Amino acid sequence: MSLFLEQLINGIALGSLYALFGLGFGLVFSTLGILNAAHGCYASWAAIAAFYFAQWFQLPFVAAVAVGIGAGGLLALLVDRIAFQPLRDRGHEMLGALITSIAFWIILDNLAGLATGQQSLTFPRGTYPNHLFRIGDIPVSAMQLITIVSMIVVTVGLHLLIARSRFGSAMRAVGWNPNAAALSGVDPARTMVVIAFLAGATSGFAGVLGGVMTANVSYSLGESLMLKGFAAVVVGGYNDVRGTALAGVALGILEVMTSQYLSSGLRDGITYALLLGFLLLRPRGLFGSAGYSRA
Amino acid sequence: MSISHRRSFVIAAALATALALPSVPSAQGLPPGEYKIGFMTENTGPIASAGVSFWNGAQLAIDEVKSRAYMGKGTSIVLQTKESGSEAARSIQNMNQFIADRSILAVTCCILSPVVGSVKPVVLEAKMPLVIYGATAVGLPSPPWVYSMTILPGPKDIETGLTVASEIKAKTAAYILANDNEAFRNRLNDTRTALEAKGVRTAGVVNVLTKDTDFTAAATQAMGLKPDVIFIYATQSAAVGAVNSLRDRGFKQTIVGNDVLAPETVFKRMGQTAVGVPFPVSFSSALAESAEGKAFIAAYEARFKSTPDIYSAQGYQAIWFIAQGLKSISGTPTRASLAEALSKITSFEHNVYGGEIMKNGQAQTTGTLIVNWSPDGKLVRWTAPKN
Repeated sequence: MSLFLEQLINGIALGSLYALFGLGFGLVFSTLGILNAAHGCYASWAAIAAFYFAQWFQLPFVAAVAVGIGAGGLLALLVDRIAFQPLRDRGHEMLGALITSIAFWIILDNLAGLATGQQSLTFPRGTYPNHLFRIGDIPVSAMQLITIVSMIVVTVGLHLLIARSRFGSAMRAVGWNPNAAALSGVDPARTMVVIAFLAGATSGFAGVLGGVMTANVSYSLGESLMLKGFAAVVVGGYNDVRGTALAGVALGILEVMTSQYLSSGLRDGITYALLLGFLLLRPRGLFGSAGYSRA
Repeated sequence: MSISHRRSFVIAAALATALALPSVPSAQGLPPGEYKIGFMTENTGPIASAGVSFWNGAQLAIDEVKSRAYMGKGTSIVLQTKESGSEAARSIQNMNQFIADRSILAVTCCILSPVVGSVKPVVLEAKMPLVIYGATAVGLPSPPWVYSMTILPGPKDIETGLTVASEIKAKTAAYILANDNEAFRNRLNDTRTALEAKGVRTAGVVNVLTKDTDFTAAATQAMGLKPDVIFIYATQSAAVGAVNSLRDRGFKQTIVGNDVLAPETVFKRMGQTAVGVPFPVSFSSALAESAEGKAFIAAYEARFKSTPDIYSAQGYQAIWFIAQGLKSISGTPTRASLAEALSKITSFEHNVYGGEIMKNGQAQTTGTLIVNWSPDGKLVRWTAPKN
């Protein structure tokens, strides 16, 4: 039983990473209508920036995380301005943005490889909390707790921002129709800038936490989060951050339990079978609105 | 025969002789000139950290072969490079381009065994000599065309497993395996069979994938088997992740790694977590005793400002092997004559291991060095922890 509970916590922590990443990915998709293949790179670059700043300036963990979040947000903003805004200006739809994002994915991945010397880097011990707590017989690492709590805080924060705030209304309006939003007094350009930054920052947060938790700061970090984050968004529902959070955690648990009780070989197969199942049977996801058009 | 006919015949005979002269084998060995070898780099992609080491070692060998006039005065090897990123499709494409360039006499490539498996039929068909510098699967060589300069880790894994299990008096062993890597699967099975024959029971095998980044669940699963020792058979990133996760989860017993933990960058990455984890190596810059080994280390450190690892040594030896083959050829070399020359090599004129032979196209060294990282980041001989 304690093994089951231990793996359950491992699954929740892993799923929290997927969820956190998926929140940023889903935000861009649901509001800006961009299926951004380069989104994983924001996580990789956030972790790389946090790693180097922590090394160069001996930053404490919280400051390194803040640097990573900022780097992820700024990179997302930069890509949005260079890659996606010109497409929006010309009225291109999703396919053009997808192709452009694939190009940026390749470029940013290659640059990340150069930035890390093609190595997988690791945050040195002592630069992050690595205490092992025990809840009864069950060990829980400090990073697992931080990841789970971070995911909950970000999910609640984003949900309140989108559902309850004036800016959230503007986000939803821009996501539905930028021209109509502009007519009602919303500044679509400013709103899109903030959305791009928020999305990159959220996924950057996942990147830094993932980089520390998995002892892997490299271009492959974002790639591994990307597919799982996408699955979390599809399964949870494109336009509800709570769905993404729950689906991400569920995927993490499913992945860990499949490895523990079935076979690691089936792990990804089951995840993607679930993804396929939702795309076929319930394309709006668990929490998505019935009338939502992106799917 | 008229005079004009006779004159024409003499001129034709003289011309024919003059034209034929360069192709007559010279008793003086290899003619001066540059000889092109294809080198498939793996400086990008999932195992680029190892790829850079192979490439550095090869570059050093190229310079030494030239500066020492090893193959003869005015002779040198020139590497034509193509990057594969460790991808099979790109490797095949690169190989076809090397084959199409008739000035390339041989190719050296490949860290991953499946990639070698995909290019091997191509080189056999085209009769292009291939020297493998990194792939570890058994049975890849196929003389006279395909040779492997990789020191196979399998026999050394078994010896390490038996030694460690005996020293720590292990009764049960668990294994963490990168199940999508056939070479590691085979290595694990060989060690497991040897250990079981000595009475070490297998508590279980935990499968992971090479591309995995989170090993917390795998570590939990392996620890749940309550073994005396955990063996890790996985590529570098996965092995590092698994060791880190096991230690993070509080596993205090012995973890046995493999040769992927040998590069200096691994200690930089793992720090104190790497300390005390035994693994076998064929070459260690800290423990090399031969004069050639020490000279190689000094030259490498001077040029690349880092210490060479086993991958650097294998890249270096691959070039020296080809140079030895070229050196033994009289006259202008061809792919066929180089293949034949390589097939005759049974011992190495220049090697950094202090003893290396070639048997059926496979390079081999004797003895097994079981080492671990010390707290100050040096490779030292492993000794069982005192309880």
